[in-house]
Amino acid sequence: MAQILPPWSNRLPLAGALAAGLGGVAVVGFFWYFGSPRFTDVGYQPTQPVPYSHRLHAGELGLDCRYCHASVEVSAVANVPPTAACMNCHRVVKRDSEKLAPIRDSAASGRPMRWVRVHELPDFAYFAHNVHVAAGIGCVTCHGRIDEMEVVTQMQPLSMGWCLDCHRNPGPNRRPVSEVTNMKWTPPKDAAALAARLQTERPVHPPTTCSGCHR
Amino acid sequence: MSGTYWRSQRQIDGDPEFQTLQEREFPEGASEPPDGITRRDLMTLLGASLSLAGLSACRRPIEHIVPYVTPPEEIIPGVPRFYATTMPFGRSAYGLIVESHEGRPTKIEGNPVHPSTLGASSVRTQASVLGLYDPDRSQHVLLSGQPKSWADFTAAWAAIEKTHLQDGGAGLALLTESFASPTLARLAAAFRARFPKATWATWEPVSDENALEGLRRAAGRPLDAVLRVERARVILSLDADLFATDPESILHARGFSAGRKTGADGGEMNRLYAVEAVFSPTGIMADHRLRLATSRIPGFLMALAQALAAADAALGGRLAALGLQSQGATAPDGEARAFLQAVAGDLVAAKGKGLIAIGPRQPPEAHAAVAALNVALGNAGETVIYKEPAEAAVASGSAFASLVAAMRGGAVKTLVILGGNPVYSAPADLEFGAAMKKVPVGIVLGDAVDETSALATWHVPRAHFLESWGDARAFGGTLSVVQPLILPLYGGKSAVETLGLLATGKDAPGYDLVRDTWKPLLGAADFERHWSRVLHDGLFAGSETAAVVPAIAGRPLQDLARAAADGAGDGFELVFQPSAAIHDGRYANDSWLQELPDPITKVVWDNPALLSPATARSLGVANEDLVRIDSGGRSLTLPAFVVPGQADGTVVLTLGYGRTGSGRVGNGAGFDAGALRTMTALGLAKGARVTRAGGTYDLASTQEHGSMEGHPIILEAPVEEFRAHPEFAQEAAGEDRDEALFTEKTYDKGHQWGMSIDLNRCVGCNACMVACQSENNVPVVGRIQVRKGRVMHWIRVDRYFTGDPEGTPQAVVQPVPCMQCENAPCEQVCPVAATVHDEEGLNVMVYNRCIGTRYCSNNCPYKVRRFNFFNFTKDTPESLKLAQNPDVTVRARGVMEKCTYCVQRINAGKIDAKLHGRELKDGDIKTACQQACPAEAITFGDLRLADSQVAKTKKDPRNYGLLNELHTRPRTTYLARLRNPHPSLAAKGAAEGGHA
Repeated sequence: MAQILPPWSNRLPLAGALAAGLGGVAVVGFFWYFGSPRFTDVGYQPTQPVPYSHRLHAGELGLDCRYCHASVEVSAVANVPPTAACMNCHRVVKRDSEKLAPIRDSAASGRPMRWVRVHELPDFAYFAHNVHVAAGIGCVTCHGRIDEMEVVTQMQPLSMGWCLDCHRNPGPNRRPVSEVTNMKWTPPKDAAALAARLQTERPVHPPTTCSGCHR
Repeated sequence: MSGTYWRSQRQIDGDPEFQTLQEREFPEGASEPPDGITRRDLMTLLGASLSLAGLSACRRPIEHIVPYVTPPEEIIPGVPRFYATTMPFGRSAYGLIVESHEGRPTKIEGNPVHPSTLGASSVRTQASVLGLYDPDRSQHVLLSGQPKSWADFTAAWAAIEKTHLQDGGAGLALLTESFASPTLARLAAAFRARFPKATWATWEPVSDENALEGLRRAAGRPLDAVLRVERARVILSLDADLFATDPESILHARGFSAGRKTGADGGEMNRLYAVEAVFSPTGIMADHRLRLATSRIPGFLMALAQALAAADAALGGRLAALGLQSQGATAPDGEARAFLQAVAGDLVAAKGKGLIAIGPRQPPEAHAAVAALNVALGNAGETVIYKEPAEAAVASGSAFASLVAAMRGGAVKTLVILGGNPVYSAPADLEFGAAMKKVPVGIVLGDAVDETSALATWHVPRAHFLESWGDARAFGGTLSVVQPLILPLYGGKSAVETLGLLATGKDAPGYDLVRDTWKPLLGAADFERHWSRVLHDGLFAGSETAAVVPAIAGRPLQDLARAAADGAGDGFELVFQPSAAIHDGRYANDSWLQELPDPITKVVWDNPALLSPATARSLGVANEDLVRIDSGGRSLTLPAFVVPGQADGTVVLTLGYGRTGSGRVGNGAGFDAGALRTMTALGLAKGARVTRAGGTYDLASTQEHGSMEGHPIILEAPVEEFRAHPEFAQEAAGEDRDEALFTEKTYDKGHQWGMSIDLNRCVGCNACMVACQSENNVPVVGRIQVRKGRVMHWIRVDRYFTGDPEGTPQAVVQPVPCMQCENAPCEQVCPVAATVHDEEGLNVMVYNRCIGTRYCSNNCPYKVRRFNFFNFTKDTPESLKLAQNPDVTVRARGVMEKCTYCVQRINAGKIDAKLHGRELKDGDIKTACQQACPAEAITFGDLRLADSQVAKTKKDPRNYGLLNELHTRPRTTYLARLRNPHPSLAAKGAAEGGHA
C-alpha cells in the first residue's frame, strides 16, 4: 500500500507556520498602514456647497485667517464665518457669480449654509483653538498651507499619537504669537534658541494625560 | 447613642436580603436587560448587529458646520454666556445666574449678589432648566382640546370680556397661585378696577397661610417671619423643615452651617433643637431631637412657655400679660421634660440670640404664640425679622373654598386660572373638578395639558420663567427682574402677559408690561441705565422691604392653650408634607427630581406612607406592604415604609405624586395623597384608620445601595470632646497601612486637585446631586432600574441612623463622590487602562477605552463608579438634549463613568488663566457640587497652594480619609461632624465611632 502522505509532506507544518507568520505580519501591516488616520483621513477633501477658494482669499488676496475665523483666539472653536461675513464683500464684488448663488440665497432667506466639516475630531476629544493660538502654534502646523489650497484638504492625521508627539515636545512647533496666522513663516536658523526663548517668555506645559483632552 | 451606624430597618433586622445586597457589587440580575429579553437573546442580537456594524464603519461620517447667517453681536461660538434672572416660587424668588450656550440655557447657579441665594442653589432651582425643555409641556393654545392660536384666544376674550364689562365682572372669577411681583400686583389692581365685581382667589396646595394668620392675630396685621439663622445661637425648630421643603431652605442652610463652622473653628457653636413627628433634614442636623406627634406640638409649645416663665421671672411676667396661665399644659414626661428644661434654659440664656421656628402645618394659634415668644425673648429684629408682604397675592383657603362654592352654584360664568393645577391639588372635599365642569367658560394658563387644563374651554400654554419677562420680590423683599434667556419654545405666554390681556383688554408683550411697572420704581430720568444695571446685577439694590417690630396684642398664649387642649384624639394622625423634590406635584414631570432620593427614606419615584417601627409592628406591616388609610370617609391604599425616629401613631404622606396629567415622566409615579386631604385638614388630619390591605408594592430606594460595611465611615463627636481631644477623627479613622503593591507615583508638580467635605455643615438637601446631574449629563434610569441598582448619580448622599431604632435615633448624612484615590484600586484592575491617573492627581475615566468589564467597580471600596447598563442616553428626547452640557461627553451603553472633579471646569479655568497670562487663583475653579452647596460644605482646590481653602481644611484636625486603612490615599476627605449637646442631655448623647 502506498503511503498516504508522501515524504515532502513533512515540510508542510513548517511551510504552514511560515505562511501563517508572514500572513499575520501582512494583515497587521495592512491595517497598520491602511487603517491609520495617516491613510484614511489625510487627503480628505469633501465637496463644499460653494467652491470657496482659500488660495484666492487667503493666498492671493492675503486676507488674515481671523477675518473669517474670528473666534479662534478667544474660543475653543474657530468659527466658520456667518453668511454675513461673505456678504460684506460680495455685496459689491462678484455680485452675479453663479457659484455664489447659495450664499446670496442664504443671506436673503435667512437659512444658514451647511458646510462640510473637514477637520473632524471624535466627540470625546475636546480641542481648544484659543489656547493653542496663545501658545504660538501656527495655523499651518495642523491645517497645512491653506493659502495654497483651492479646496481645503486635511493634511495631518489629527490622531491622538500625532497630537501627543507635539504635546511631549512642543518646542519645534512654536512660533511667536504674532506669526500664528502667517502661512509663510519659517523658523529661524537657530530654531532651538527660539523655542527656548518662547518657553521662558510664555512657558507651556501641555498635558499628556487623558484629562487634557477627554472630559 | 449606641456605637453603631445603620442604613435601614432591614439592616437592623438582619434581613438576609440586605446581606446579599452588601456582598454583591450590583444586585442580582443587574446585568439583565429590561422587558423580558434575556442576556442570551441580547448577545444574539448584538452578534448580528456587530457584523453589520463592521461594514458601516467603512464610511466616513459626514458632519456639517452650520454657522449663523447674521451672527448675534454678543455670541461667540463655543464661549458660554451668563445672564442674571430670577426664578419665582410662590411668594419667594431666587436670584440666579444662568449659563447659556449659543442661546440655549444649560446650567443654573445662584446669583452671588442676590440675598435670596448668595450664589448657592437648591434642588428646585437646579432642576428648573430641565423643566424648560420638557417635551410634555403643552405646545398650543387649545379650544376644547383643538389647537388654536393666541390670536384666536385674544379674539375670543374680546367677546367674553364684553359681557363682563357690562355687569362689572359679576360672573368672572380669577384663580391664581400666590406671587410677589410688582407687575402682577399692578395688573391685578387694574383687573379689579376694570371688573370690580369679579372674584379673586389665590390657592396654594402647600401654603404659609397659617403663619400669616397667626401673625395677624398676634400683631394685628399679616407678617412674614424671615429667619436669620446665622445670627442664632440656640434654634428651636417646631415641626419646621428648614433645610429641604421650606422655600427659604438655601438661606437657612447657609445660616445654620455658618454657626456650625464657628463652633468648629473654636467659637461658640449654635445648638439646634428639633421637635417633630416627621424625620426631616432639620432633625438630622439637630443636636437634640424630640419626636412628638404633630398634633401635640401646640401642647409642647404651651409647656415651653411655662418653662420659660419659670426660668426667668421677668419674662414670666411678660408672658403672663400675653395670657400665659401657670396651669393647663399637660406636664411632659421623662424624656420630654429634660428636653424642655434644656431648651427653655438655653433660650433664656440666649435672649436676642435664640430663635423659635415653626412649620406651616401648625395652627395659627401656635404661630401667634411663637411670634409672641420670639418678641418676648428679644429675638424679633435679631434672629427673626418680621416683614409685611409687599405686592403679593397671599393664599387664602377660605376665599378658594367660597369660589368653589360659587362655581358649584353656577354663579361663575367665566373662570380664569392663572397657573396652578387645582383639579389635582385642591382638597378632595371641595371636588374642584366637578365644580369646574359647571363653569361655562374655563380659561386655564398651564404648563402642560394637565388635570386642570383637560377640563378647560381655553388652554393657554404657560411660558417657563427662562423664556418670559416678569419680576418678583424675594422673601426678604428684594426686587429683581425675571429675564428670559430664550424665546418661548412652544409659543407659551406668561402670567404677566395673560393677566395684562385680562386687565387692559390689550395684548401687550411682557417686556413692555414689566418696564411700565419699573419706570416709576427706577425713576424716569436715566431709566435705561438703571434698568440695564438691574438686569445685569440681577437685582434692584436696596429694595428690601422694611423690617417691622410687631407689637403683640391680645392674649396669644391663652389662645394657644385652647389649641393645645385640642390634643391628638383617637386613631392615627395623618401628616401631609410637600415632596422635597417635586413639591406639590408641579415638578412631577422633571425626571431629575423624580429620581432624586428623598432626604430621609431615599425612596425615588414614589411616596410611600411613612410609619415608625413600633407603629408598623402594631399594624403588622413591613416595608412595601400595602396599607389602607381611611380618613374622613375617603380612603387610599399605598405601600408602607418604616422610618426610624418618626413619632408613633403618625402616618406621613407626601404630596405631589399620583399625577395623571403631568406627562410621560410623572404619570403613574406614586400615589395621590391629596385624595385624603380636606379643607379643614390640609396639613394634619386626625382620627384616621390604618389597616393592612394585603399585597405588596415594589418601592425603589437607594438607601441600601453602596454600603461600606463595618468601617468607620462617619466620624462625629460632641464639640466639647473635640476641644479636649482634637485628633479624635484621625485616630478613629485608623492607620494608613502604607502597603502598596506597586511603586507609587509622587504628585509634587503643577496643580494637585483635592476636595474636602465638611460633615459638620452638610444638611443633606441633595442640591449637589442635581447640580452634578445637570453639569455632567448624568442620565436618569427610572424606578425599575433603580431597584436593580443601576442608578447613575455621580455623587450620592448617604444617610445613616445611629442609636435606638425604636426610640429617637439620630441620623447623619454624608455626600460621597469619587474619592480620586492617589493609589486607586480601580486603576489596578482595569484590563484596558481605561481608568488611569493624570499628572494633577485626578483618577480619570477614558470612556472610549472602556470595554465594560466592571472590574473597576468591583474593586472600588467606595462604590462610586456607575455603569451605563443600557443606552440610557440614546432615547433622550430631542428637546432634552438641548439641556445637556456641550463640554461633557454623553456616555453610551457599556461604559463605566464617575465623578471627574468636573474636569471640564478645571480645563476651562486653566485655559482662561493661560489666555490672560495669569496664574490660577484659589477659587477660580469650582466644581458643580461645590458651587451649588447652600451650606458651603464642599471645598475644592489646589492642594499645593499653601493658602488655598482646601489645603487649610486638610490641616484641620477633623480631617479624615474614608477607609484610610486601605491606603487608597483619597484626594477627597471628610471633616468630622461635631454635635453640640446640652450638658444636661449630653449623658445619653455621647457619640463614638463604629459601624454596623
